Amino acid sequence: MKRIAYGIAAAAISIALLAAIGALFGHRDLFPILIGGSVGSPFALEGTLLKSVPLLLTGLAVVIAFRAGVWNIGGEGQFIAGSLAAFLAARYGIAAALIASILAGALWASIASLLRIWRNAPEVLTTILLNFVAIHLLGYCVNGPLQEPSRMYPQTDAAAVALPLLGTSDLHAGIVLALVAAFASWWLMYRTKEGLRLRAIGYNPNAARTAGVNVNAQIARALAFSGAAAGLAGGIELLGVTHRLFERFAAGYGYSGIAVALLAQLHPLATIASAVFFGALVTGAGELQRAANISSAVATFGQAIVILVLIMFGSMRARD
Amino acid sequence: MIELALIASVPLLLAVEGELVAERAGMINLGIEGMMLFASMTAVYAAQLTGGIAGGIAGSIAGGIAGAALIALVFGAFAIHLRADQIVTGTAINLLALGITGFVYRELNETFTRAVPHIESNAIAIFAWIAVPIVLAWALWSTPFGLRLRACGENPEAVRAANFSVEGHRWAALAIEAVLVGIAGADLALALSSGFAENMTNGRGYIALSIVIFGRWKVKGVLLGTALFGAAAALQFAMQAANHGIQFHLFLAIPYVVTLVILCGIAGRVRAPEGLGK
Amino acid sequence: MLQVSHAAKSFGANRAVDDVSLTIRAGEIVGLVGENGAGKTTLMRIVAGELAADAGTIEFEGRIGFVHQHFMLVNDFTIAENLALATRTSPRNAEAIVASTGIALGNVGRRAGDLSVGEKAKLELIKAIAREPSLLILDEPTSVLTPYESEELFAVMRTLAAKGTAIVFITHKIREVTAVATRVVVMRRGSVVADSPSMSAEEIADAMVERRTGFSRSGRAEARPTSRGEILAIVGVAGNGQRELAEQFLHAYPRSRIGFIPEDRTHDGIVAEMSIAENIALTRENWRGAIRRVPALIDLYSIKAQSAKQPAGSLSGGNQQKVILARELDGEPERIVASEPTRGLDLESTRFVRDQLREAAARGAHVILITSDLDEAFELADGIQVIYRGVLSDRMTPAVASERVAKLMAGLQ
Repeated sequence: MKRIAYGIAAAAISIALLAAIGALFGHRDLFPILIGGSVGSPFALEGTLLKSVPLLLTGLAVVIAFRAGVWNIGGEGQFIAGSLAAFLAARYGIAAALIASILAGALWASIASLLRIWRNAPEVLTTILLNFVAIHLLGYCVNGPLQEPSRMYPQTDAAAVALPLLGTSDLHAGIVLALVAAFASWWLMYRTKEGLRLRAIGYNPNAARTAGVNVNAQIARALAFSGAAAGLAGGIELLGVTHRLFERFAAGYGYSGIAVALLAQLHPLATIASAVFFGALVTGAGELQRAANISSAVATFGQAIVILVLIMFGSMRARD
Repeated sequence: MIELALIASVPLLLAVEGELVAERAGMINLGIEGMMLFASMTAVYAAQLTGGIAGGIAGSIAGGIAGAALIALVFGAFAIHLRADQIVTGTAINLLALGITGFVYRELNETFTRAVPHIESNAIAIFAWIAVPIVLAWALWSTPFGLRLRACGENPEAVRAANFSVEGHRWAALAIEAVLVGIAGADLALALSSGFAENMTNGRGYIALSIVIFGRWKVKGVLLGTALFGAAAALQFAMQAANHGIQFHLFLAIPYVVTLVILCGIAGRVRAPEGLGK
Repeated sequence: MLQVSHAAKSFGANRAVDDVSLTIRAGEIVGLVGENGAGKTTLMRIVAGELAADAGTIEFEGRIGFVHQHFMLVNDFTIAENLALATRTSPRNAEAIVASTGIALGNVGRRAGDLSVGEKAKLELIKAIAREPSLLILDEPTSVLTPYESEELFAVMRTLAAKGTAIVFITHKIREVTAVATRVVVMRRGSVVADSPSMSAEEIADAMVERRTGFSRSGRAEARPTSRGEILAIVGVAGNGQRELAEQFLHAYPRSRIGFIPEDRTHDGIVAEMSIAENIALTRENWRGAIRRVPALIDLYSIKAQSAKQPAGSLSGGNQQKVILARELDGEPERIVASEPTRGLDLESTRFVRDQLREAAARGAHVILITSDLDEAFELADGIQVIYRGVLSDRMTPAVASERVAKLMAGLQ
């Protein structure tokens, strides 16, 4: 219960701080615009939910990895890998595209686990470096081989398929997939032997090894699952929202996943609520930029504040 | 070509040197990326404020150091004082810096879009490639302070048992890192570029972290690592200049691939300071 | 002179130090004895200023030197640099400092991490003595020393005491106390229960525990029925390759066929954040079945816990060890490897663990007991081997071993 309170407090403090800083720079309307732009109208709510989907999945990616004691900061690159694979496989149908995105994300993350197991290369750095590689790979594709035929913009054509919409709004079936993924992650972590061992290596890899767990194999699987979730996020975002690839496609979803995961205290089901919060923050920040010319980077700032406040609460708790 | 490589890698080298000190004291500062980015912004701001005094050098360097010091303060408050996890804190710092710089860039847009003074890079290059390594090697390996600082990175318990303050030494290490990274930020924005641009650090902080590992936490090693990296980067620029095709985007990925290779080739056989991250 | 008046310290509900008053004079060698958990280390840490007492006063003039149980060395530094750090001098003075203490350590340019365990212990001692303390506290100093090295240590202690240094040495080994102490202070459950210049081994033993049990060192009380199982004890001073040996055994057999009790239960045994049930289920293929069995196991192994869902880290050391035993022994494995299974445990848990190992052997298991506690080895073993620098001696019967073990542990013979 306390942890939920901490989470809500952290979220509230970050919004309050944003409003205060906005006021400092003369934007007294920051808070109302933020709220209105995220949950103030059906249109805003729709935007929030749409943004929550990739955040939920990249958040799950981080939850799975951190729970296993693995530093996967590579959600961004895995997201891109997933979207590229989905785009290429789209001609074979939705299912093929989504599976491709899952596999591509897992594979991209597995580069890092390979380097760690084989060469002791710290995954905290390799996953970040792979992000940059993926970003430039994407740049190459949308400016080159995958560019739309008129060659006027650095983007691809529309993908061959799209996710079906739910009803009359812009909400797409990916929402259902993301929720399923959240429940699947929860079930994996708390109701299977695999999950037990995954959490064990996260808490105490030495004890896990003594108990007979193959730590390296477990790390590899954890990173694969993690990358798969992030890759799926990319595939869904492509097939459900943007329909085409372009530079800056990932737009920080990968890194935002860290804040989502930490606010959810690394619990897969809580990640749903956390993703909605950050989805609202991002959507509201977009409105801030449109309506008041306040950089949407405030959303990133908000994420940082949430993480820092949670750290503070965490160390206060440890002192008890 | 060599000169180009040396000068172009000055911000990276300063970051490497700063991180070396920090890691020798037991801190992993993932937030060095954000520190340099923020320092670049404050350096430009300070340069605009102080006008053309002394060619803008003093102001920009002071500004860069001030910005880096602010970030170091936040990092230290969490990582040293609150004993928070250093990797999570560092990640948060990077997001913080991204957010603040993005926000301020738009708010004070005209400050950052008008012309900035250009500062001379040669002096800083000599500072980074010659003066700093000599002083650092001496300070860390030939002074009692350096002995204690390195002990903090190996076994903080032993330091406490000898009645010294581990926290004090780690703060000192962060301060040294902030000075070096502050200068790096100023150099990046005002010597190598003409002002602040969003995300201009482009991963230099992470590359710096990798080079510290490659150099086995020793001065000679990190100098060699930075030089090798600088050479690879210079090669990349040359290839880009010669070839104007779309492969340009792939060339952009070269520094990061090179860094990955660096991490592969050496990391397995390396022994980090025992108390790193604790 | 050290004056402790009504010192008290609690950790949560646990009264570690309970109204202790004590006076220690220059030149005394005080043996502070008690079983694990009696409060000896906590009391001395308060005296040394490392912990703050909840109540009471400590009066002392002068410097205190504290040699801890765990090494506090910087492994990557040389001996000289470690000394420089501890004594606030230059590494160049190291040789002179070592010479002044009268302890032989050899080339001070060697890396501390490369030293043998006995040399590391000497270095810690030199670090403390070099600062010329008026009070020297040694915490379980002989736990990593061979019998010969222990004698060397006692000689150094006598010399220091003759020069006027007050010495307190904390131990749970009664034989050492009778060998070198000029005064014996016995602690039990946080209080001082005996304080006298001369006590016999039996008197000390009885004061340490609540009931008069008599201290038997001759081993098993009743004749064992013939069985295929046995206990082989591998004795040696810590740091002579025991860990590597245990690892070898661990990997020599399929994990499900071996019961493995690691040396360091916090580091390698228990996942503190996970529940008792989850810890027990961790080794099993059929983890659901394992979880269902947990309440029965808690009963069977007398694990003092409120619920199977409790985090394992909240249990006492003895109960944590019982959780590990429950997990490892429940399947009645044919082989058991137990490393220092009673280290740091109170008497009741120690007895329990030893009984479990005996019963397992009686059931037919081959038990390998790796221990640095000679009493434990002789109490339990059917056969004994000594390990020294990674090499095992021949197997001996306990009778033969009792004569040769001291020399073998020191590498002689």
